[in-house]
Amino acid sequence: MKIEEMSAAALREAVLNKELSCNDIVKAYFERIDKVESKVDAYLTLCREEAFKKAEEIDEKIAKGIPVGILAGIPIAVKDNICTDGVRTSCASIMLEDFIPPYDATVIKKLREEDAIIIGKTNMDEFAMGSSTENSAFKKTKNPWDLSRVPGGSSGGSAAAVGSLSAALALGSDTGGSIRQPASFCGVVGLKPTYGLVSRFGLVAFSSSLDQIGPFSKTVEDSALLLQVIQGNDDLDSTSFKGDIKTDYMSSIKDGVKGMKIALPTEFFQEGLNSEIHQAVKDSADLLKEMGAEIYEVSIPITNEGLSAYYMISSSEASSNLARYDGIRYGYKTTEYENIDDLMIKSRTEGFGPEVIRRIMLGTFALSSGYYDAYYNRAQKLRKKMKEEFKKVFGEFDLILSPVTPDLPFKIGEHSEDPLSMYLGDIYTVNINLAGLPAMSMPIKVSKNNLPIGLQIIGPEFGEDKIFKAAYALEKKLSLDYLRRDI
Amino acid sequence: MKIDKSTVDYIAKLAKLSLTDEKSEKMAKEFEAILTHFQSLNNADLDDVKIDYKDNIKPVFRKDETSVFEDKKKLFQNAKSLEGSSIKVPKIIE
Amino acid sequence: MSFETIIGLEIHAELKTKSKIFCSCSTEFGAPPNAHTCPICLGLPGTLPVMNEEVINLAIKAGSSLNCRINNLSKMDRKNYFYPDLPKAYQISQYDLPVCSGGYVNIESDGITKKIRLNRIHVEEDAGKLVHLETEPYSLIDYNRVGVPLVEIVSEPDLRSVDDAVLFLRTLKSILEYEGISDCRMEQGSLRCDANISIRKTGAQELTTKVEIKNIGSFRELQKALEKEEKRQRELYTYGEDYKIIQETRRWDSGKGRCVPMRSKEDAHDYRYFPDPDLLPVYVSEDKVKGIKESLTELPKDKYNRFITEFKIGEKEAEILIDDILLSSYFEKAVSLGGNPKAILNWILGDLLKLLKGKEYIDSIPVPAEELNKLISLINDGKVSSTQAKEVFEFMFNEGKSAEDVIKEKGFTQISTGDEIEKIISQVLFDNEKSVQDYKSGKKQAFGFLMGQIMKASKGKVNPAAAKKILEEKLM
Repeated sequence: MKIEEMSAAALREAVLNKELSCNDIVKAYFERIDKVESKVDAYLTLCREEAFKKAEEIDEKIAKGIPVGILAGIPIAVKDNICTDGVRTSCASIMLEDFIPPYDATVIKKLREEDAIIIGKTNMDEFAMGSSTENSAFKKTKNPWDLSRVPGGSSGGSAAAVGSLSAALALGSDTGGSIRQPASFCGVVGLKPTYGLVSRFGLVAFSSSLDQIGPFSKTVEDSALLLQVIQGNDDLDSTSFKGDIKTDYMSSIKDGVKGMKIALPTEFFQEGLNSEIHQAVKDSADLLKEMGAEIYEVSIPITNEGLSAYYMISSSEASSNLARYDGIRYGYKTTEYENIDDLMIKSRTEGFGPEVIRRIMLGTFALSSGYYDAYYNRAQKLRKKMKEEFKKVFGEFDLILSPVTPDLPFKIGEHSEDPLSMYLGDIYTVNINLAGLPAMSMPIKVSKNNLPIGLQIIGPEFGEDKIFKAAYALEKKLSLDYLRRDI
Repeated sequence: MKIDKSTVDYIAKLAKLSLTDEKSEKMAKEFEAILTHFQSLNNADLDDVKIDYKDNIKPVFRKDETSVFEDKKKLFQNAKSLEGSSIKVPKIIE
Repeated sequence: MSFETIIGLEIHAELKTKSKIFCSCSTEFGAPPNAHTCPICLGLPGTLPVMNEEVINLAIKAGSSLNCRINNLSKMDRKNYFYPDLPKAYQISQYDLPVCSGGYVNIESDGITKKIRLNRIHVEEDAGKLVHLETEPYSLIDYNRVGVPLVEIVSEPDLRSVDDAVLFLRTLKSILEYEGISDCRMEQGSLRCDANISIRKTGAQELTTKVEIKNIGSFRELQKALEKEEKRQRELYTYGEDYKIIQETRRWDSGKGRCVPMRSKEDAHDYRYFPDPDLLPVYVSEDKVKGIKESLTELPKDKYNRFITEFKIGEKEAEILIDDILLSSYFEKAVSLGGNPKAILNWILGDLLKLLKGKEYIDSIPVPAEELNKLISLINDGKVSSTQAKEVFEFMFNEGKSAEDVIKEKGFTQISTGDEIEKIISQVLFDNEKSVQDYKSGKKQAFGFLMGQIMKASKGKVNPAAAKKILEEKLM
């Protein structure tokens, strides 16, 4: 097996057993990048020098017998909206094209502490707004399964990097599906953790009450490995969970699904859902049943209002979070202006892409409309109601299964306009963000035209261990080889 | 409810953005769509849900202790115009 | 037709914390531009705020000392607007659930106690400072002040005269100072005041159009600005032109000596308030509130009364002491160390005040209270004359030395007994035989003349009482 085909867990073993050096690993990955990156365009910045330097440092430590971190030598790609000290962090926007953060995001600090090797920053939809990575100001990332199709978004670059074997692991962010959908499109494992499990300090904010950083990986076990490193209370993030969390997923990941009660909501399987995806999800449910789980078809009142609340909350928060970009302290600054007001207006108008401008306008309108006072509270109530309803469901069931996307990956430039599909697509993902629940997308099948299909496994608050258990069992049962060796 | 261009222009001013007339027209339609979302929210049955912020009674505080971010040069490395250690901007008339 | 003046004040006071409200940068005044900044208060992408516990404690203290209702649950909201001194383009403040509601301050004016109600007290972060240079086409921004915690105290429009408004502010300042909530130094900006003023026909119930006055930098400016605006509005009312009074903001221009209409900052006062999603609601338990209430120290008014009854000092003197927290605490300390209240009071209101006036604001009195007490006992023991003591005190103040050290170094000693006095007096008597004869022949003034000569000969070092006694003996 080639180095870039190995899972992170296998790489870790090899490094600890001195079968591979960190230098070997980094070298292999950069050779792979040199081979496929021009086709995939997953990266905005490559950290070649720093990666080799870090590899050398870790190899020295190992030679001296000094203990090294859990992720020692493992090359990891980071979505370009996560701040890395001294490395350009652009959010795929002209607004931050030359922005070099003077500090590390907390998750980056944790990666460094565990000796992970950051090999580059990945492409995304500008400021995480979008679901195809076509909204990047710099380049369009291609789907490793079909270079004429989108990798999904907004974390398309990270998903494509793992999917094209250009990174062993990757970090992305999910506000309304931005990890799960690209994971599904690229045939990799993507997890959105429970809101508050992973610190947001250093994640350039889009919608503060919905954003979460999460892992991309080739395998379920790798996902758990990376989550264990990045999760945990952060004193710098008031919204990060301060209670007790599970710190060891590995000890229970192989427990199997015997006796697990799994729900299949009927509302998710309706017109607009691609029939192959529908079948794939049903087949996975059957497999889980074979392994001892109990599958129930239930009705969960997932309503329209969830979407309304999502659009209101996310655009309002975004309009406020993005107001700081005015060219004065950092970021894009227009060249010709008459006064400071002009400077601010021009810098913002020229620095932001059309989708970002659209969302800021919508959010500003929502907050200013005079309706907000009344409707913001209603949106919050709706969130609370949704949380309570899901809680009721998880009182009876351990997990919920659903499709991730209603469609297979679409062609670049050909975004689906079918309102039913768009509606379903949102339904599968945004309600989960609203409720703050954890959810994973894992590959379960390949379509007739050789495109990956993902399954979404939704868990209760801080129930990532349950998700890992079911996903691991399913993965082993399916025993799929989704490695895109030839691109 | 019909949204006209003047509303869009007002919002653009609030958001410190400048839109072309064509874009403004298009945006007006989008604003109308957002209002339908509000309507939908209005229709939801939420009478039995109470928001009183008591769901999270453990406030998050930090201690009143100071620390210094030493590398000021790094902190301001992205500023395009500095004068001494101050940020320089076109003259503001208050 | 008679009219009444209606005034409400909006006060911002910087809270006396070590670090800023949402990050651990120092709040110290006077540092070079941008010395106290970090990614968080600069609002760099990805940064998040975390609430400083002490801010809430001090806000509750303020509310408790101002008779407010303390809300166990309050929340932080974003006030969105663009201005170069506001890095995040929103200020984290409190909109509809502030830390404290209601409250009041009593002021003594025209011989009666007037209750001035408060509307609320809330916490918020301060913005940066803009520096405009006359001759340059640019402005400079210093973000040191961004994130310094403020309490905003809003009064109801209960004030009915300019004098009352000034007195209200003084009283409020005093309370905040005494409770250690804020330094309240208007010249440093740790106490700021905006005023709202309107006029209406006496007896009318409704409030009329009010004008907001900003840029008030001192108590004097508050007095002047309000008087000017009051005059302007009253005149318009008198001539039936009150429709000309529009709701606007005016800027006090001390150079011009009047309130100048501000160029309207683009209409938008649309702040689009919404709860800050990066912060959790602020919850304080009843126990915590109780604990803070119990930690309150004596209020200025109560201290004033106590000074008068316990130390038997006059009202005017007590007022001067109370008005300056430095003086009152100095007085109390000196008295607590065993000093004589009357003597200490004289020194404070006399020499100390004189020396303090010459200095720019200082944080503490450079003469330790025990040292003043020591000086006073040295006078009583006759070791130094009261005239000399004034000079000694000045040296103590300026050089920070103890009384004994100054006396030794500068040679201030009073000669009270012994050969030295004898010698000096004998010499004087020898040199002034005519005066001695005059005295002995009944001219009593001669005694005074001789005393004068003795003081002169001894360069004032002789203890007059002792010298008098010895002279009397010698002349018998």
